[in-house]
Amino acid sequence: MASSKASRLGEEVWKTRMDKVNAELVVLTYGTIVAQLCKDFDSDYVEVNKQLDKMGYNIGLRLIEDYLAKSNTVRRCSNFRETAEMIAKVGFKIFLNITPTITNWTSDGKQFSLVFDENPFADFVELPDDGRAQDELWYSNILCGVLRGALEMVQMQVEAHFVSDVLRGNDTTEMRVSLIRYIDDELPPEDD
Amino acid sequence: MVVYSFYIFDRHTECIYAKTWLPPTSSSESHAPGGPTTTLRPASADDAKLIFGTVFSLRNMVRKLGGDDDAFVSYRTAHYKLHFYETASSLRLVMLTDTATLSMRNVLHQIYINLWVEYVVKNPLSPVEHKGGVGVRNELFELGLDQFIGGLM
Repeated sequence: MASSKASRLGEEVWKTRMDKVNAELVVLTYGTIVAQLCKDFDSDYVEVNKQLDKMGYNIGLRLIEDYLAKSNTVRRCSNFRETAEMIAKVGFKIFLNITPTITNWTSDGKQFSLVFDENPFADFVELPDDGRAQDELWYSNILCGVLRGALEMVQMQVEAHFVSDVLRGNDTTEMRVSLIRYIDDELPPEDD
Repeated sequence: MVVYSFYIFDRHTECIYAKTWLPPTSSSESHAPGGPTTTLRPASADDAKLIFGTVFSLRNMVRKLGGDDDAFVSYRTAHYKLHFYETASSLRLVMLTDTATLSMRNVLHQIYINLWVEYVVKNPLSPVEHKGGVGVRNELFELGLDQFIGGLM
């Protein structure tokens, strides 16, 4: 029930409140960024992954405010499962118009996978044919950073990484998200 | 309706924006100086700290008694009413008005959506953290806030 509510909310916000931009422009812009990073770091793909994650993190810190404003969210999710629903059906829906599937929950409800049936960043993309990129580069790694940054602002420390990518020849594109802890409210400094 | 002052506190509990509107002096010509106006004393830096301490404690107490979904909305004294609004990202907005004012929750929510997010968060030159209020006091935000509050009164 909660899940269909999230879908409806995502659908409505996407239709009525979001500014749209040409998808190919996004593909090309993002591709250019990744290509430039590969050049700047001399095809050190581990470093490129790190930089993409960092860029995403900085985006996430701001994007969450737009998410909260657009979706009119006034209260926190009551548990991590609800958070996952909101990420997949509202967050990804309103910003990228995709709805990744949530699967593979661990029994403690602290880890899940997002499976991307479509990935608007990856259209027309082929990884460099140097024998390493296929094993080392996570092309859409910016998304991990976005989730990490956005959730940190709503007091959840998470870890996110890709475990498979169709660009590498895997069957699916899958991101693993784990909740590390809930961050406590910061207290005002003591007056002496 | 009269708005006396407005404060924004970030998630690090720092006051990153404060603004006071002085009581309208032009319309109070009929009052003799020192007449029966409910003038609040001028704001000082300590006010922000005291206000934060108060709303923070009240919010925690409200949650303790009413459950995590409960929200502290406002309190009222003989001279003023304090309105409180907190976003999921721990941004806290506080507004002081006269006692007759109805709930300003919606107004604070609008300030967050239409002014804070649009003019502060989406400003690429403004930092993510607003240490000492950097990036908040930009022209568009100030102007928007003045117009918005002016439109209410």
